[in-house]
Amino acid sequence: MVDLLIGIFLATLITALFTARLYRLLMWYSLNSLSLGLLALTIGRAQHDGAMIISGLITLLLKAGAIPWILKRLSQRFGLVRQITPNIRIQYAIMLVPAILVFTFYLAEPISHMVEGNANYVAISISSLFLALLLMMEHNNIAPKIVGFLSMENALFLLGTTATGGMPMLVELGIFFDLLMAIVVINLLMRREEMENSGEAGA
Amino acid sequence: MSLYLLTVAVLLLIAPLLLGVIKALKMWLLFKRPLSLLQGYRDVAKLLHKENVVSEEASLITRVAPFLILSPLLIVLFFLPPAVQGAWYVSFVDAFTLTGLMALSTFFLMLLGLDSASSFGGIGASREAFIAALAEPAMVLTIFAVSMMAGDLGVGQAGVNLASRFPEKHMASYLFAAISFFILLIAENGRIPVDNPETHLELTMVHEAMILDIGGVWLAIVETAAAVKFVIFASLFASLFLPFGYGLAWPLALALFVGKLFGVALAVALVEVNTAKLRLFKVPNLLGIAIVFAFLSLITFYVLGA
Repeated sequence: MVDLLIGIFLATLITALFTARLYRLLMWYSLNSLSLGLLALTIGRAQHDGAMIISGLITLLLKAGAIPWILKRLSQRFGLVRQITPNIRIQYAIMLVPAILVFTFYLAEPISHMVEGNANYVAISISSLFLALLLMMEHNNIAPKIVGFLSMENALFLLGTTATGGMPMLVELGIFFDLLMAIVVINLLMRREEMENSGEAGA
Repeated sequence: MSLYLLTVAVLLLIAPLLLGVIKALKMWLLFKRPLSLLQGYRDVAKLLHKENVVSEEASLITRVAPFLILSPLLIVLFFLPPAVQGAWYVSFVDAFTLTGLMALSTFFLMLLGLDSASSFGGIGASREAFIAALAEPAMVLTIFAVSMMAGDLGVGQAGVNLASRFPEKHMASYLFAAISFFILLIAENGRIPVDNPETHLELTMVHEAMILDIGGVWLAIVETAAAVKFVIFASLFASLFLPFGYGLAWPLALALFVGKLFGVALAVALVEVNTAKLRLFKVPNLLGIAIVFAFLSLITFYVLGA
């Protein structure tokens, strides 16, 4: 079950890399967070870890539901560009994605003995970190960059849940508050971009 | 032996029905009055009564090609993994043989398109070559990855192994292979994001453009070949990626298998209703995703072991 959910996590992230439409991208991000939340619930139930179940529920509510919805609302309000073509051409992306996966495996090998449980999950989490970074890099527009940032946070959460068997509750809650703060900052950022755009239109 | 032949006969019989089901489901989802499920059989019966008209430019190829389109697919039908326990199966046929036989069929389809010397045939053939050249490597990789997970390179044996011992340790790579294979199923059968089987608009045609110039019995054969190809892909999907219910008593297991085929048809119909057809030059992006997932499936299996 854990393997399946991690597979869905990675698959949605990779599909998001190739997406050229904003709302589709938000949908993939939502599915990505959904699999992450379910993963946290599964691991939490297996380890009888109440804190992890709570953070899984918060993930489901916040990242799979609220944040994509808020981002969609914001992008509608500010009239953001919805056609987001990746800068990296698909031929190169096809070669990059598997290369990242293989590279991170060797990157994670030295620390794999420190991890309790399955060491491969560390490699997958780090590779999804890099993939999220790639998502941020390959777009010029602000909205997909935000989604890339949020996916990066998802990858860190995955690393936290699978490698350590549950971070302290306080750390996780702190991350969630950071995320909410980030959304507020992003709102301001979008407002600024809108002002610049309207300024250009006026001039 | 009898079960083996029965399975092949059932698959062959429901082939036109499956395509009819997709069409009817699509019409029903679009609030149209669905056409009869038997329309596929009626079309074949109608075409069998018509005379064969051939273009003046056509050579011997046009007369031979329809049979060479259908026969490799019929051979593949005999190499599929078994649907029920205790049935015979061919264990040694691997990904290369299956893909190669289907590529042979596609090759003659393209020759048929070129042979009529109409411009449409040329368009269709070049597009088909363009799509097939990208789909086949992904197909070899995907089937290869699944056979590695099942522990046997033969596709038939792989299906049996998967049914008896599901690769729970390798769920991640199994899922990647399933995604890749579903994209291939859509691309190779010319369903909507890649090709629209229902229009005769020159901008969108691929499969229809190649068979525009033939009629009568030959058209019936080529249409049957298209239906058989869908059945092959659907039953490969059912036995490689939905390997449950194999050990039931044989009438139940066969019924469940046919049910899975209709499930695949339903999934294809839902995809067709919900997506717009891609521009031809965007099709490599879709097939690129299929290749990436096929690669990732092999890599996660070999390198990560997940």
